Amino acid sequence: MRIAVCAPQVPFVRGGAEIFADTLVDELRARDHEAELVTVPFKWYPGTRVLDQAFLWRLLDLTESDGRPIDLAVATKFPSYCVRHPNKRVWVLHQFRQAYELDQTELGQFSEEPADRALRRSVQRLDRIALGEARRLFATSRNVADRIERSTGLQAEVMPHPPQELPYRNDGYGDFVLSVNRLDRAKRIDLLLEAAALDPALRIVVTGDGPDRERLERLAHERGLDGRAAFTGRIGEDELASLYARCLAVYYAPVDEDFGMVPYEAFLSEKPVLTTHDAGGPLEVVTDGRTGLVTAPEAGELARAAGRLREHPDEARAFGLAGRELAARVTWDACIERLLA
Amino acid sequence: MPPERSGIADYSAHLLPALAERIDVQVVRRGRTRSVRGTDLALYHVGNNPDAHGWIVEALRKRPGVVVLHDFVLHHLVAGLTIGRRDGHGYLDAMEREGGVVGRLLAHGVLDKRIPPLWESRPEDYHLAGEVLGLATGLIVHSRYVEERARAAGYEGPVWRVSHPAWEHAPVEPARLEGSPLIGSFGNLNASKRIPQLLEAFARLRRSRPEARLLLVGAVSPGFDLDRRLQRLGLSEEGILREEYVEEERLWALMAACDFCVNLRSPTMGETSGSVIRQLSLGKPVVVSGVGWFAELPDAVALKVPVGAGETEALHAALELLARDDAARRAMSAAALDLVRREHDLGRVADLYAAALEQAAGGEAVADAVLGDVARAAADVGIEPGSPEAAELARRLAEVELGR
Repeated sequence: MRIAVCAPQVPFVRGGAEIFADTLVDELRARDHEAELVTVPFKWYPGTRVLDQAFLWRLLDLTESDGRPIDLAVATKFPSYCVRHPNKRVWVLHQFRQAYELDQTELGQFSEEPADRALRRSVQRLDRIALGEARRLFATSRNVADRIERSTGLQAEVMPHPPQELPYRNDGYGDFVLSVNRLDRAKRIDLLLEAAALDPALRIVVTGDGPDRERLERLAHERGLDGRAAFTGRIGEDELASLYARCLAVYYAPVDEDFGMVPYEAFLSEKPVLTTHDAGGPLEVVTDGRTGLVTAPEAGELARAAGRLREHPDEARAFGLAGRELAARVTWDACIERLLA
Repeated sequence: MPPERSGIADYSAHLLPALAERIDVQVVRRGRTRSVRGTDLALYHVGNNPDAHGWIVEALRKRPGVVVLHDFVLHHLVAGLTIGRRDGHGYLDAMEREGGVVGRLLAHGVLDKRIPPLWESRPEDYHLAGEVLGLATGLIVHSRYVEERARAAGYEGPVWRVSHPAWEHAPVEPARLEGSPLIGSFGNLNASKRIPQLLEAFARLRRSRPEARLLLVGAVSPGFDLDRRLQRLGLSEEGILREEYVEEERLWALMAACDFCVNLRSPTMGETSGSVIRQLSLGKPVVVSGVGWFAELPDAVALKVPVGAGETEALHAALELLARDDAARRAMSAAALDLVRREHDLGRVADLYAAALEQAAGGEAVADAVLGDVARAAADVGIEPGSPEAAELARRLAEVELGR
């Protein structure tokens, strides 16, 4: 089959969604499909730019390329699913969350002005239309599927995707908690820093880069965490696998996250995950006392949870092993078979 | 709003708290037709009752806004605002606007009392919604039927279809009434509620099921001789249970006591029935006329009776089926509860209202901005207005409702 995988591109930004799209193309090619990544830059501000950029997808003609038909378009993230194709399948990683659950929070984008309110509704209407056109609609987690149903009335099949390929291994349970995230406010790294400030024995390693980095580094300094909180910036695959292999546990507690590959990556390294009750998608795989610890989004509770794992490495190991069993069930073979069925 | 006693007043009072949780709302008191300072949008609930809605139309004339069109046929309202205020010319003009010369001549006939009032005899032919539609910057409707009628009448503005909200009710203790089955009919008793057909079909049912009872709740409309009809059909002594006006609590108890309910209508003004919504929220199977909003109810919850030839026979068959088949009643009951949860949940309805009102208040600015950006980009690459490429752009914009 000739398959166009459609994903937006935010120039100079790379995260889970970008890794997912690249990997999907690779995995399709590995199964003898002709697959190509189709991408369009995405800028969602100011004002109606979000709609202009969504409309760019609408102007693309992906029915054929170089005189040969494209059999299937697989769209992933807003606004790529606005693309037109007679055999459009959408595997939703994210809607435009500012128009939904992030609205009227500090992570929101739309003001109370009538034009902004209407703009948000236009994004929702666009979702209803574009997702409604899909021949099959998948969501990467139950959280995403529920949000789609609430906002559009459409029912999506839940299909989590495997995490990126890394040389996963377990080199024991060290003395640090690892954070693997793009550094923006929604990922809530500051909660981990505050927890470390409360527990002098807690060491943390924060990987990734992003717009919140400067504030987070300043916060770490203000809380006296110099030496106990390391910011690595963006790192390579080997180094990331090594950190996963050596850490005590992985912290992953964004606000109402859609899915998140990080828990799966942690599990493949046999590591437990620390998360919070309001983290959304991760709670579908992180079960308190089984594959990790789930706390209230409060620094004190998080510090106590990290301390518990530090004092009971056997528990950390048991949780990590239970997680690995769960993560091993999510395979590209199964996903691609469903996607193309 | 209450204390006025109308379905629309109940509706507004029911919706308002949920709506106010989502957007800032100021309620305009009866009689005030000046616009309210500082508001982004005016919302008008328009129904067919000139006493309740006349002042709302006057306010709409001063400040166009979004209209909740509870009835599509507004002939009775317009007649009240014209003939009822000794403005015969106004009625003539309204009829001419909609029906041309023929309409004007018919209106003369009405004014001269040479023909029956058209709002009773031919409401569907002369809806007289034109003025309200002309003033509405957007419409909120409860049914596809009203949306289609508005479009057929030439309305080109945005239309949002929003279901009628269901009432959340405490567990209801059913009234203790006899009847096997007990069939309920709620609302005014008159010809347009097809009471003659209902009585006849019920009389037939009673021949095979003497234990059946028909509960009629509501006032008898002027000119409708209920007693004579009951006498003629042999129903005057037994078989019929009567209550006239009842308070809300008693209404729920009576509905809860019924095995199923009948809600017939013809002609329809395009209205939605709050009574049917109540019955569905109690999980009652319903029998309705196959017209307007009633025809849009899912088959799983409603048996639909065609109006006109064979109506009484079809109605009798529906009553017989529901009387006989417990399993069908149970299935319809479950489907009714499911429908109410899915479609008529108050929170969902308020969400849809908020979405519609936000689009109505700022949608034009959004459309202007997007169209402006697209037009500028198109002009930059030499796409001229009116060219096939521009038409294609417009088509693509329309596909995702970003155009006008």
